[in-house]
Amino acid sequence: MNAWQFSPRRVGLIARVTFLEARRQRLLPLLMLGAAGLELGAQMLEEFNFGLSELKFIADLGQGVAAFFGSILAIVASAQLFFREIDERSALTLLAKPVRRSEYLAGKFFGIMAVISLFCVLMTALIIVMLWSRETALMHGRPELWERGRHLNYAAILAVGFAHWLGLAVLVAFTLLIASFAQSSLFTVGVSLGVLVICQLQFLAQEAYAKAGTLGGRWVAGFIALLFPNFQVFNLGDVTGVEGEIGVMLLARVTGYALFYVGVAGMLAVFCFKRREI
Amino acid sequence: MSAEPAVVIQELTKDFELGLRGTRLRAVDHLSLRIAAGQIFGLLGPNGSGKSTTVKLVLDLLSATSGECRVFGVPSGCMESRRSTAYLPESPCFHRYLTGRELVGLHGGLCGLRGAPLKARVDEMLSWAGLAEAASRRVGTYSKGMLQRIGLAQALVHDPRLVILDEPTAGMDPAGVADITALILRLKAEGRTVIIVSHLLEQVEEVCDRVAILDHGRLVREGTPAELAGSASRQALVVDPLNPEQLTELSAWLEARGRSLLSVGPFRSGMDRSFLLTPPAGHAAKYKP
Repeated sequence: MNAWQFSPRRVGLIARVTFLEARRQRLLPLLMLGAAGLELGAQMLEEFNFGLSELKFIADLGQGVAAFFGSILAIVASAQLFFREIDERSALTLLAKPVRRSEYLAGKFFGIMAVISLFCVLMTALIIVMLWSRETALMHGRPELWERGRHLNYAAILAVGFAHWLGLAVLVAFTLLIASFAQSSLFTVGVSLGVLVICQLQFLAQEAYAKAGTLGGRWVAGFIALLFPNFQVFNLGDVTGVEGEIGVMLLARVTGYALFYVGVAGMLAVFCFKRREI
Repeated sequence: MSAEPAVVIQELTKDFELGLRGTRLRAVDHLSLRIAAGQIFGLLGPNGSGKSTTVKLVLDLLSATSGECRVFGVPSGCMESRRSTAYLPESPCFHRYLTGRELVGLHGGLCGLRGAPLKARVDEMLSWAGLAEAASRRVGTYSKGMLQRIGLAQALVHDPRLVILDEPTAGMDPAGVADITALILRLKAEGRTVIIVSHLLEQVEEVCDRVAILDHGRLVREGTPAELAGSASRQALVVDPLNPEQLTELSAWLEARGRSLLSVGPFRSGMDRSFLLTPPAGHAAKYKP
């Protein structure tokens, strides 16, 4: 076997350096602080005692905040960590070594995903702790409503967090695709935010075109649906609520959907980056 | 010395596209070079003459518009050619939060070293570069001279046969220049081929075996530094001051032997040289005449 084929070890080394760089930029703690502050703000609702609907509100707010700050982190960290090495020319010394450009990009992706994973784990843990403590307090206050035990499905909340993480992986892959041919991090951030908005809202366009009923409209809707992933797919919280269950098949479908788009965006990014002049 | 040339460049051309109107800038223009193994080769020329672009083409960091480049017989587009190549870019900026040891270890790992051999090689390279004591310090705290030396250590960690140094002494003080010059000469003594890219002709003159001068991407001249300076058949004598009668006498003595006195003037000692001969108190002289 050729010793210079695609090497997971080289990918791991680049991912580690990317993660260290992200840690040094202190972007993660800053966003964590903001997100945690907003989530903890939901605790102020304690005084109102809305019962189950209060728990749903806390869960929705927490997941919304995690998705919002997670998206910012995914786009900004991807653009920053990609362009920093290019601008400072440390990428030159790495790519002058026997390192494939596909390994370099994969290393960047996994390094950024390590940061995103840390963010998602901490945010999901915070949401679960908040919901658990609030549900416990409500159980003591109105025990008649909790005669059959806890209402919240914490496994489903974990699954919702996992689906958010998958959505952020797709966003990181698309941001790296844009960065692979863009000339500045500002351009990358701007275009990636545009892509995020399209991905979040594309289902509205699909519905509108489907209602229009014209062949051309359906073609356009189909093309948009194929080109841009539908980020509502990763929003499992809306599907299940706080009490519902998330089936393994649904989770597998969402995982496959994310892997498809990460793979396609990754291959296109490698194609563009191979032609990029460093 | 190996018979196989270290680098063969044939009719290499590189055009950069500017804007959307199809305007092109030719950075390297049908360049052909042959660099023998074991040499220190200087690639000289003014800013914008295509030196760095040529080096990036050799390293496959850029793709050529046309022409071919081989490193030890292997096309430069192949990964295997980078196995035998080391590169230190101009004013390198490394990952500042890594220690010197971690940085060299990272680059060694990327080259396939691991475990005890990697650790031993990292220690060896840090000692070679004179950075053993600073190995546990973050690279962000290094001086310019130390950055160049850690750059050399990371470049050489995989024991390459070809070392490419882009402006290796840019922005350094004379003591730092002397350090890097000594390391370059050690590389040659170890049997490696060294390509030095510079626009400072005097600086490379004392270390290079051969020199190529580029301008507008084309090869203008190639030869030994003495050939290019036109001094291969001339000598300079440094003597105590002579009065006019003594100069006339010396001229007549030379003419009687078929030689000519071509130039007489005050002796100019380079500022760098006098700095190194008279170092600040507490610092040993680095330059031995």
